[in-house]
Amino acid sequence: MKVAIYNQLVRAGATRREVLRGAASVAALAATSGMGLGALTRSAAAQADLRAQILQIPGVGKGSPTDADWQKVGELCLAGTKSNVQQGEFAGVELTFMGLNNQNLHNFLFRGFLKPWEAYTGAKINWIDLAQADYNARLQQSIATGTVDFDVIEMGAPFEGDVCGKGLASEMPDWVKQLIDMDDYVTYLKEPVGTWDGKTYRISIDGDCHTFAYRKDYYENAEFAAAWKDGGGEGEWAPPKTWAQVQAHSKFLKGKKDPLTGLDAHGFLDPLKGWGGFGFYFLEDRAAPYAKHPDDKAWLFDADTMKPRVNNPAFVKAIQDVMDIMDTQPADQINADPGTTAFQQFLAGTGGMLTWWGDVGSMARTSDTSVVGDVVGFSILPGADEVYNSKTGAWDKTFNEAPNMAYIGWGVYVMSRVDSDEKRKKAAWSAAAHLGGKDLSLWMAAYPSGFQPYRNSHFDYAEWEQAGYDRAYIEDYLGSNADSYNHPNAAIEPRIPGIFQYYSVAEDELAKIYAGQYKSVQEGADAIAAAWEKITDQIGRDNQVKLYKASLGM
Amino acid sequence: MSEQAQAAAPPSGLGASFDFIPERRRRSGRLLVAAASLGLAGAIVFQFLHATGRIPYGFSNWQPLIYVYIAWGVALGAGQVLMRGEDGHRALFVLPAVLFTLALVVFPTLFGFYIAMSDWNLSSLTGQKFNGLDNFWQALADPFYRNALANMVLYVLAVLVEYVVAFALALLLNAQIRARKFFRVVFLLPLMLSPVAVSWMVGKSLMENRYGPIASFARWLGWDNPAFFTSPWIAKLSIMAMDAWTFIPFMMIMLLAGLQAMPRDVVEAAKVDGATPWQGFWQVTFPLMLPVSVTAIVLRIIFKLKLADIIITVTLGGPGGATDSVSSFIYREYRDRSNVGYGTMLAMIYLVLIVVFVTLLLKLAKRFVRSVT
Repeated sequence: MKVAIYNQLVRAGATRREVLRGAASVAALAATSGMGLGALTRSAAAQADLRAQILQIPGVGKGSPTDADWQKVGELCLAGTKSNVQQGEFAGVELTFMGLNNQNLHNFLFRGFLKPWEAYTGAKINWIDLAQADYNARLQQSIATGTVDFDVIEMGAPFEGDVCGKGLASEMPDWVKQLIDMDDYVTYLKEPVGTWDGKTYRISIDGDCHTFAYRKDYYENAEFAAAWKDGGGEGEWAPPKTWAQVQAHSKFLKGKKDPLTGLDAHGFLDPLKGWGGFGFYFLEDRAAPYAKHPDDKAWLFDADTMKPRVNNPAFVKAIQDVMDIMDTQPADQINADPGTTAFQQFLAGTGGMLTWWGDVGSMARTSDTSVVGDVVGFSILPGADEVYNSKTGAWDKTFNEAPNMAYIGWGVYVMSRVDSDEKRKKAAWSAAAHLGGKDLSLWMAAYPSGFQPYRNSHFDYAEWEQAGYDRAYIEDYLGSNADSYNHPNAAIEPRIPGIFQYYSVAEDELAKIYAGQYKSVQEGADAIAAAWEKITDQIGRDNQVKLYKASLGM
Repeated sequence: MSEQAQAAAPPSGLGASFDFIPERRRRSGRLLVAAASLGLAGAIVFQFLHATGRIPYGFSNWQPLIYVYIAWGVALGAGQVLMRGEDGHRALFVLPAVLFTLALVVFPTLFGFYIAMSDWNLSSLTGQKFNGLDNFWQALADPFYRNALANMVLYVLAVLVEYVVAFALALLLNAQIRARKFFRVVFLLPLMLSPVAVSWMVGKSLMENRYGPIASFARWLGWDNPAFFTSPWIAKLSIMAMDAWTFIPFMMIMLLAGLQAMPRDVVEAAKVDGATPWQGFWQVTFPLMLPVSVTAIVLRIIFKLKLADIIITVTLGGPGGATDSVSSFIYREYRDRSNVGYGTMLAMIYLVLIVVFVTLLLKLAKRFVRSVT
């Protein structure tokens, strides 16, 4: 769980007494079910018992977990390892693990979790800790120069094209798949994510998606509702379900006063400034329901040719939508990146609607600088009343949703350099499986870890409530994520080499479009497409086609 | 000087001595250098053949070549002593610095040119491919690069304004004013701040559109919606102002040092001759300060040509490239797009432009100083 979310949950009322009550009820539940269902359910009961037990380490509201807690959790979750590894079996094996050190989480947790694993198996792990800012460059350089000096890596799915596509990763053995219960993953993390050419490489430890945040007080405001009706606004004055409604609401709100802050009211906040490639995700949020046809897995490129779709009518419409409400946005919006729109604008009371990752939901109620904690609501990303069909070249008049699984989330991968030594290979996969184990993942979802829930079993609200969490908030927080994760038409990140190069160059061109330097949106979109073609040619078109198809599971 | 002494003196130049070095020793020196050079060349060729896949044996990376180079350097030094005696010893004082410069300046620069002439995207499966001058032609036609170069012209011209302000401040701090020492320290503070900190403190906080004090002040002055980074020209000026605020103290302190080193008797003589303060400044102070001024301006221009951090933090080159500098564009091309070959070419073109520009600037400045003084 993200640190901020955890803090919020603690603040939301998980007092010590409630925690203890929760613990007692979980224990009682576990005990009852264990006794009542007999021998056949003993294993499930034991697991439930274990899950309840680890959720009490250190206990919600009892301060941040420490290394001792991580080790304790790691020790308790060793059953999977013990089921197929003998004590001391990996004696003499040394593995190198490369990961992040953000917020003193990630690798710091992994160290604690893996310490009991090291003690049991006899293997030793050396650590490469990287700051987020250094991560991409370090990984790219390792790949490009052939100096892969690590055996296990914590990596985001967008890099699968660079790593798996180049044969640098080790294929997951079947015993690992069973050990980590991959069927429990939310829909979008199942194949093709984590796979290349039908082979599985990734152990997921995180989930990511964009959701839609809106100001409930705007929609509960009687004056706004009356003005909307009087002004001939279409439909009810209610949170938007389509981008067309977002557009209409944004235009309507121009000139009105924010009911909370008394300052100017604004509608949707578009981040118009680049963010190292990450800013493109926000245009994707708008474009996906227009561009991601349910009958077509591809939506950014034509799968057979890598011809960009970023200049097709769907994307042009999305860019035009941005342009159409630029005058409704705060004065310096052209200089606002996604960080600004979320943390300096929306959370500070500027703007009525926003798309972002889960952080906004949690920060809204935990950050000292947030003023919208009590008036924010969430849903999956808005849809569209029509979707562009790239195959027919026509718009299909049908309601379409396509939540954007931006960045997909972190996973643990084993590098192919261990494949030549069976003992090392088994050791590396055993360590990775330990980190991606089902029970351990529940603890990571529930406590500060830097990772979001990503398994269906993480959305068992009763389990959270019994552990001492506030049910209403948990449902609110997890609900929009769960709906997005399991959406049948989710827009999945194309995991091809250099994907952030495409995004970065698009940001540069979008900045010019937004600054009015092109005669038309189409001309600007064509410039993005031309730049994308150049990148594809430079990286190698045939290979990109192959990898793009593989990433889409085609 | 006696005849004997004259005979022992070096025939020409300085430093040559008349050590008697037996031919055998000279020969062993030559042999040592030749063997070491052969070893170095052999190691390079050997590793090159291995790296290009022509022979199966070789080092896993180029690192061992550094040790071979160091060994060659040692052999070269020993060879100098063997071949040239005392002169060789003298050469040893310079040789390490020469070899160091060769390894850390000359070679990387040449290697940089080589990389610049290759198609090398870190995400490409095929790795680095030599593509001649393709990157150069691409750079010439690249609207983002041309836009950044044009912006640099404006940024550099702003140095003249900074110079005027810095000179005025230096004159002020050189005058007999109260709390002069305090003001000197206070005026230096911006220079001590990291440009990134300045970007956040000034660009993203003080100039913040809704709550920033500068925006509030501008609103109070009657500017309806003060946005400092929205229209291209205001954004350019805002970036220039922030950069100037950081670096004017640098020019100011140089000019202040110049003013303090200026002979007072000349200034006083001008006063005695009846020169007004205005005449005194233009006829005496300014011409005498020209050499310091030129140094301050040239150094400031060199700093300015590297302008990137404030832009990356505050505008990322926007709106629509209006504030982009060459360095901030290269940063995006290199870091965000892993386009190593093209990014290096952009940097190399810029390097050449800077060298030519600064050389011309120094020549012109020299001529200007000579004509005025």
